[in-house]
Amino acid sequence: MIGYNARLKRDLNSGMGACMSEQGDTTGGLEGKLEDLKALSGDIRSCAVLSGDGELKGTRLGDGVERERATAMLAALAKLSERVARENGKEHTSQTRIKTDDGHVLLVRLEDGGTLAAMTNPDARVGLVLYDMRNARDEVQKSLQGEG
Amino acid sequence: MKKVLRRVALLGLLIGTAVAVRSYLEKSEAPGEEAVQLVFDDGSTHALYSRSVEAQEFTDIARKVVEIGL
Repeated sequence: MIGYNARLKRDLNSGMGACMSEQGDTTGGLEGKLEDLKALSGDIRSCAVLSGDGELKGTRLGDGVERERATAMLAALAKLSERVARENGKEHTSQTRIKTDDGHVLLVRLEDGGTLAAMTNPDARVGLVLYDMRNARDEVQKSLQGEG
Repeated sequence: MKKVLRRVALLGLLIGTAVAVRSYLEKSEAPGEEAVQLVFDDGSTHALYSRSVEAQEFTDIARKVVEIGL
């Protein structure tokens, strides 16, 4: 995990976006961007990117995780979020934070309707993780466009 | 004297029952803690509390995601 001071110093020196792309260049692709996000935000235990129709585009889930099941559930959460947005007269949800006893599930909407999802521990600094996810969003989006 | 004590006991019982009923009602009406927070594209936020059906829809799925995803 990166300490606050090291993190602050690094962010001030290079800017968060620059940091993401610099690391992204070394690992490349969507998987690389997710690995970067996981490395940047130590509270993230696993993360994934879903397309607008719920297809898994990339993931940094732990070994032995049932990916299809996890994907279906993340897609269901994204749809629920959109439903709540519509019920409240809004177009979209830009981010969703769900708290459970065992951790948080965080969703950040991508421009094309896809979702960047992350799972954290219960004691995670959720605000900081969401900040990192929002910063990573553009890079993830670019990778998706590159792949498409 | 006995009559007075009986009345005091009865009054105590009534007050105790009223307090218990009120406490139960307050507890059952409380929305619970914030379980879900949504931020919309216009920057406004919406919170769902743990006792609401909507929040439970989210947390039921999220709990399974955390269980299998971590």
